[in-house]
Amino acid sequence: MSMVEVNQVRKLYKRDAQQITVLDGLDLQVPEGEFLALMGPSGSGKTTLLNLIAGIDRPTSGTVRVAGTELSQLSENALARWRSRSVGFIFQFYNLIPVLTALENVELPLLLERLGGRERRERALTALKIVGLADRASHYPRQLSGGQEQRVAIARAFVSDPKVLVADEPTGDLDARSAEEILALMETLNREFKKTIVMVTHDPRAAARAHVQRHLDKGVLTADA
Amino acid sequence: MRFLPLVLKHLRRSWVRSLSTILAMALCIFLFCTLQTFLTAVNRSLKSANAARLVTRHAVSLVFNLPLAYRDRIAAVPGVKQIAMQNWFGGARRAGDFSEFFPNLAVEAEPFLEMYPELILTPEEKQAFLGDPRGCVLGPDTAARFGWKLGDTFQLESFIPPYRVGRPFEFVIRGIYTTDEAHYPGTDRTLMFFHHKYLYETTGRRVGVGTYVTEVSDPSQAGAVSKAIDALFANSDNETHTETEQAFRASFVSMAGNLALLLNTIGLAVTFTILLVTANTMSMAIRERRTEMGVLKTLGFSSARVMGLVLTEAGALGVLGGLLGLLLSQVLIGALPHVPMIGPFVRGLAGFGLTPLLALSGLGVALFIALAAGLVPAVLAYRARITNLLRQV
Repeated sequence: MSMVEVNQVRKLYKRDAQQITVLDGLDLQVPEGEFLALMGPSGSGKTTLLNLIAGIDRPTSGTVRVAGTELSQLSENALARWRSRSVGFIFQFYNLIPVLTALENVELPLLLERLGGRERRERALTALKIVGLADRASHYPRQLSGGQEQRVAIARAFVSDPKVLVADEPTGDLDARSAEEILALMETLNREFKKTIVMVTHDPRAAARAHVQRHLDKGVLTADA
Repeated sequence: MRFLPLVLKHLRRSWVRSLSTILAMALCIFLFCTLQTFLTAVNRSLKSANAARLVTRHAVSLVFNLPLAYRDRIAAVPGVKQIAMQNWFGGARRAGDFSEFFPNLAVEAEPFLEMYPELILTPEEKQAFLGDPRGCVLGPDTAARFGWKLGDTFQLESFIPPYRVGRPFEFVIRGIYTTDEAHYPGTDRTLMFFHHKYLYETTGRRVGVGTYVTEVSDPSQAGAVSKAIDALFANSDNETHTETEQAFRASFVSMAGNLALLLNTIGLAVTFTILLVTANTMSMAIRERRTEMGVLKTLGFSSARVMGLVLTEAGALGVLGGLLGLLLSQVLIGALPHVPMIGPFVRGLAGFGLTPLLALSGLGVALFIALAAGLVPAVLAYRARITNLLRQV
């Protein structure tokens, strides 16, 4: 069963008078429990595809079905609710809220659920334990290293137990050692917590940790690795 | 409430900017509440004037007295029910020292008390006052201020040349009037009045009458009676100007120009300026956090919720600034009656104080300004697409 089904998706952008085709009739299926790496040169449409899968952008035509939900059918509010429950997003630059502690950052998605404060904190702390940062719960992002920040961001992405994790160059801003730790963590989430992961990366070593690699070029999936 | 800590943490993030905005807002509400309190008290004082009472003064200026002989001629005008002479004495406990000033009048006692039912005396006090040529009646606030009680004596010396006789006037307190706020709201509680005859005799029977206060039988005829009184003395050496008591009091206030217009214009200008300052602050705060807005939306915060967070942040600035402004206003309003020069005037404004309704209005204005200032950034945050917000990285 496919966790992600992308069918005949086109995505056009208008820039001034010009119309730019970013994705052109793209098809992609990602089975449940898969760890997929999307590779390709800059401007190939990797991030656009990732945004469509994460429900933060809409295709010009075609359908995107994730975890059994056809995203193009959803209203803005319903799509926001779906994102909070079904998908976790990992950014290249972590994007933690600087005024919140690590624990509070991880707690953020849980604010949208009907949970008491205590339960929220317990669940956030559990997520931090999984990424090995329980002892840094009260630290602010500025007090953490890049690798630690990304681990907090990963904890934030999976704390609400989504089925799918999407990661946009999660190791792109990290040194080799930290990148290795992040990739190991993502492997753990995929293997032990059965998360389906779609990861965009430029780094062949990172892509090698995925089960499947797909290449995008000029909006078209060109080859399987 | 779940999101309030998030909002407050954002306010603390740029605390200098937040504090500046709160102070600006506080200044605005402080001015609004203080000016409105002042205007309300002035209006209240004007409204306390009785529609059936007319005041006749010298047409040229209040400085000039009218002849005593006018009394009976005015009393004979059809529609005039009764008349009382009244002179502003301008006395102070120490000559020229107005730090302990309170309004004091020489009045024709019997008709005056009948025409001013809002100044309530017991029959015993009234009797004692009418029977003592040096007797006087005090307002309860003035009595309390100096710790005076019935039977006490005190001296006043006027700054008005005709009333300066080389020694102070001595008075015996024969009555301390009470007021009835339910029936006569805004009654002055600081007045002191004594017998006009005492002034007349002590000054060697040289003084005239500052104003004649007349009560008309039918308030709807006040205009016609005023005209009739003034017509009586037209083309004489001492022409008169008669007007309602309310118009007479308003003319004092209008000596400072159109006070209400002036104060309201100041208030409006400050409010508009603060609106722009707050709008600028909110825009900057939101612009700095575009990526964070994108992250929140990515995490599943709906556009409406993000907009709500921005408005809550603006509202929090408004409420904090409003509360601080109210506090400052309350402090100043409490202190004003004790300020030299202004104090006596303020004490004469019955019910001068920050009312709960005005305080609520002040908070409402603060909230309105803050929300209006936060509206544009909030709508922009609402409408912005996640991909555009995240592209700002």
